[in-house]
This record gives sequence, C-alpha cells and structure tokens, in this order.
Amino acid sequence: MGETLTKPKTVIQKEHYFSLSFVLSRVLNSGVIMSIERNDQELKGLEKSIAKLTQTRYVSLFNTYTGALHGALWGQDIVHGSVARLGQPSEQERNFLQWLGITLVQDSQVPIAYATVHVSWDNLDQLEPAIKQARASASVLVLDFTALGFGPVAAIAASDELVWKKAERLKIFGAFDLQTMWTQEESEPELQPAVQFNYRLSPLVAACVKLTLLRRNNAS
Amino acid sequence: MKTDFIRKPLALPKEEWVSDPLAFLGGPSIIPEDVRKTNFPIIAKEDLIQMFISIQQDGEQVVEEFQEAYRKYVGANYAIATASGTSSLHLALVGVGVQPGDEVIVPAFTFIATAQAVVAAKAIPIFVDIDPVTYCLDPTKVERAITSKTKAIMPVHVHGLPADLHALRTIADRYSLRLLEDASHAHSASINGQIAGSIGDGAGQSLMADKNFPVGGEGGIAFFRERADYDRALSFLRSSGIDYRMSWIAAAFGLSQLDRLPYYDAIRARNAAYLTKELEGTKLFSGPFVPEGYNHSYNMYRVKLSPERLGLDDLEDYRVKDAVQQLINQEGVYAREWQNVPIPGHLPFKNRKGFGNGYPFSLSDRQDFGYELHHFPETLKMLRNTLTICRELRTPIEFERIQAYALAFKKIDANPEAIRELATRSSDLTVLYERDARLG
Repeated sequence: MGETLTKPKTVIQKEHYFSLSFVLSRVLNSGVIMSIERNDQELKGLEKSIAKLTQTRYVSLFNTYTGALHGALWGQDIVHGSVARLGQPSEQERNFLQWLGITLVQDSQVPIAYATVHVSWDNLDQLEPAIKQARASASVLVLDFTALGFGPVAAIAASDELVWKKAERLKIFGAFDLQTMWTQEESEPELQPAVQFNYRLSPLVAACVKLTLLRRNNAS
Repeated sequence: MKTDFIRKPLALPKEEWVSDPLAFLGGPSIIPEDVRKTNFPIIAKEDLIQMFISIQQDGEQVVEEFQEAYRKYVGANYAIATASGTSSLHLALVGVGVQPGDEVIVPAFTFIATAQAVVAAKAIPIFVDIDPVTYCLDPTKVERAITSKTKAIMPVHVHGLPADLHALRTIADRYSLRLLEDASHAHSASINGQIAGSIGDGAGQSLMADKNFPVGGEGGIAFFRERADYDRALSFLRSSGIDYRMSWIAAAFGLSQLDRLPYYDAIRARNAAYLTKELEGTKLFSGPFVPEGYNHSYNMYRVKLSPERLGLDDLEDYRVKDAVQQLINQEGVYAREWQNVPIPGHLPFKNRKGFGNGYPFSLSDRQDFGYELHHFPETLKMLRNTLTICRELRTPIEFERIQAYALAFKKIDANPEAIRELATRSSDLTVLYERDARLG
C-alpha cells in the first residue's frame, strides 16, 4: 500500500528520539489511550496548537491525508456529483476525488476548494509564511503532517464553524457522535450524518505532532 | 506525575453483603465509589521498550512486522494493517469483489461501522435480524434476504462470540456469495480452534481503544483467504488514492500487546466463566450462551434479564431493565445499554444520503430497503431486556472484583420489590429504541 503514497524523505532524526519517546511514554502512562472519550483529551491539545498556528478557530484532525481532503470537501458540501477546483492537484488527489464522485474543473469562477500545506522536518521553521500564503488562496486549509514520520496524520483548519461541524459529522465518533453517547439526543439534528469513515487520530500520534509543532523553531 | 495507576485495592468480598440494604436506598455499595476504576489496556515496561526500539526503525517495517506477527497469530493467509476497523472492513469488502450497487447482508445489531463500511464500498447494506440466543446474524433469516444483487454476507461476531459461520458458509456456497467476517469484537475468538478472521473469504477487524487487542487509539486489519482478493484490495488502494495506512506507533504498541494477548484472554475467560456460573444462581439474570466448540472472547458481556422468573412479568421489560440498571450502577457495576437502536434505524440509513445525492443507494431499484425497525423483532427484544458490561470486564480484573460483580447481581436479584417500585415510578420512560440513536 505504501508504494502509491508519499514516503517521508527524512525519517525521525536521532536528536528527537529522546523527546518523542518521552512524550509517547507520558501519554501511555496517562490512561488517555483507554477509550475514545479519553483519547479526545489528548487530541484537543493538538487542535489548539494548529488553531494558533493557522490563526483559525476550528480544527478537525484526521488519521490520513485523504481523510482530511474528504473532510475539507464534505465540510463545504462538495459531495458525490459536485464539481471542485484545486490549485495543483497531485495524482493521488485526482484519484481520490474521482473515487468520491467529484469532478475536477479549472473554471476560475469556482473557488479553490482547499489549500494544502505539507509539513515536514525541513519546513518546520518556515510554517507561518507557508500557511499565510495558503490561506490567501482558499478558506479551508489542509495540513498534512505525514512527512514528519509518525504515520498518516492531517488536519483541516477553517474559520467557518459549519465547515468544522460537517467535517466532524463525517467521522465515526466525531464530536457529535460522542455527545449523543451521553445525551441520547442529537444536538445538531439539521446536520445529519451520512456516509461516515473512521478518521479518528491516535492520541499517541497526536502527541508527537503537537510536541514537534511546539519545538518547531528549534528545528533544522 | 499524571498516571493511571490504581492506588487503592478492593476489599475482599463477603457473601453477607448481598443482604445489606441496596445502595440506591442508602445502603453500602458492593464496590465503593473510590475503587471502581479499572484500566485497559495495561501498559507494561515492554510497551515502552518496544516504542523505544520502533522509533529507531523504518516506520513501514514496523507496520509490516506487526502485520505479519498478527496474521500468523490469527492464521489468515494475507493481511493488510489499516488505520481503523472501518477501513479494514471496507478493504475486505472491496477485496472479495463487492462492486458499486451490490447488496451485502449484515446483521441489524452491530456497531454502525459494519454497515458504513458497506456504504464506503458503494454497496447497499441489507439488514437481517439476529438469533435470539447468540445475538449474532440469524442464518435461518439470511436466505430470504438474498436477491440477484446480493454479493456477500458479512456476519458480526457480536461481543466476541463467533457467528454461525458453518451455516452461513453453506448458504453462501449455495448462492455463490462471498462470506466475510466482521471480527472487530472477536480477537482470539474461535470455532473449533480456528480463529475469527481466518474463517471467511475475507475479514475486517478493529484494533481501536475499546477492543480486547488495542493498538493505542485507532487501528484495524483486513484478512484474506485468497491471493486474488488481497491483490484486488491493494489495487483498489492504488487506484483510489485512499491512504488507509496504519501508523508505526500503533503497530509498535500492537507488537508488545500481542505478546500478552493470550494472558489477558485467559483472565477474561476465567472471569466471564465465573460470572456466568454465579448468575446461574439468580432468577433474574443469565450470562451469554456459548455453543459447543466456540470460544467467546468477551469484548463485552451481555446479561439477559428474565423478569418473569422474579414475578415481574406484569411490568414492561424495558422498565425492569432500566430499574435494574439504576440499582446495579449504584452498587458499583456499570452495566448499561450498548446500542439502543438497531443500525437500520440510525440517521445515515434513514436519510440514505451516502456519499452525497443519495449515492450509492441511488444505484438500487428498491423502493423498500427494509430498514423499518419492525423487521427486526429479535433485536428490539434483546435491546429491551439486556444490559451490557463493557470495559469493566474486558479489563483483566482481579478475582475479588469479579466476585464483587457477582455479588452485586445477587443483591439486586434479592430485591424484586425495589425493582418493581423503581420500574413503576418511571412512567415517563420511553422505550430505548424510540430515543435518538447512540453509537455505543
């Protein structure tokens, strides 16, 4: 499966082994991996870091880059039968959108669906300008952290709450499913779930990404 | 230090606790509030050391090592480690050849991912009722759901008890259908020694946080019997661009946990056997039925209530269940509903929006998908008269804790009048499947 996908050019460098091992040990020791409810306690920390970094209010995490693309599109009602315009779509993006039943167009009247920032160890200390540039081209950002080497992980960031709500609805046990667990009532009945995928991120992966973002200015 | 270490031990249980006043009425709880916590997964030094080793290795190799180790453990021919159980089911379906517009038969009682994976494969889930004793897909009802569009049958090993794969295989072969397993609850479960996941043509299995074999968040694995199906799944990943890869961090945790899985399985089996035997001494409660030759993995433990054996059959069964739930929760046993609505009654199957604009449901020429709840009387009955112990029994708990659980059930059983009073008082209670559906 890996052969079709982007393999990180750089593996985790030796100087990061201790800090990453320490954070993984801390998360394992805390009990947060025991359940989805507790997983959420760790995931919120990364969401806040990304919101601060991107200066957006709403962040949704995904366990794959294509999951985040799906969330970005679904959040804007770009669904099966819709059209979308992308900046410079990769072959993987073209294939994925085709699989979703979304037609790519080049019509400049159609706003660009999302802008992507691929985060790696090489550009960690230059993220702010890259994000600023991306935000100028689209209202929804997709941040792909996969090249950091912790496994597939990505996020969407947006200022529109509705985009976030719909993206969360796409996830099995996203924010709304968890609420219904305890209340037994749909809190947003007008935002009904349709097809749902399990795009939930592991708190262990989230903790590694969060630590890396926190220390990004010491990178390189 | 932030830690999940449980510092306070349980007191050794005493039989006379059964005669104490109910906690709900102000008496002492069988398990006091400050000793109710249980942990799972158990994090051992081996988990940390494995993580320290794996961080220095190539991530893909760590995932491959895990995939191969677990494939061998299960006895499957081919495996693909994935990011989640849902994605593993999706891959299993696509791998065995399910195509857009095909119909796939699944049980009405399961976790929603079983049916959402069918939609992800752009196929139509056709729900069939459960067996009233095992709570798994009822083979006797499967045949009448088969149409010219049916491609596969995907039973679920509910709570860890394998479905009747022998009967389902006979039906599948008769109609040239593929047989899949949703083995998400059934790590190490088996039929005559053959482990769940290796019996069907394909299988998907969740390895997420709430499972007997968790990988530290979300994870899954798809299994295949035939090389051609495995290749088809890999080819699908290439052509669709979908990234379903498992993180090496999850795989590393899986490697060290796999080593201890048989130990935890043995404790779970010991605890479940003890509780089932003790419940046989009550009138109201009974534990899961396990057919001869079947090995139940007890990811969950569903307790059946028989109100008629306690003279409570003049009351609505779901009211009795609700009263018992309140009473036993107060005693420190968190028995609860797991699922309150059959899956066809969940919003994604009521609205059938799918990927958008009704796809793939729009591919079907059906006027009636058969999703109305009245088609599933056994599921409804089971939801009305059972309670489930989830992570509290999944955990390899101490023997004194399982003894305390048994005493709590006995204490409730000894107080039918309290059940009656509470059940009568709850006049505004609605039957659970008329409330909004919850996922777990």
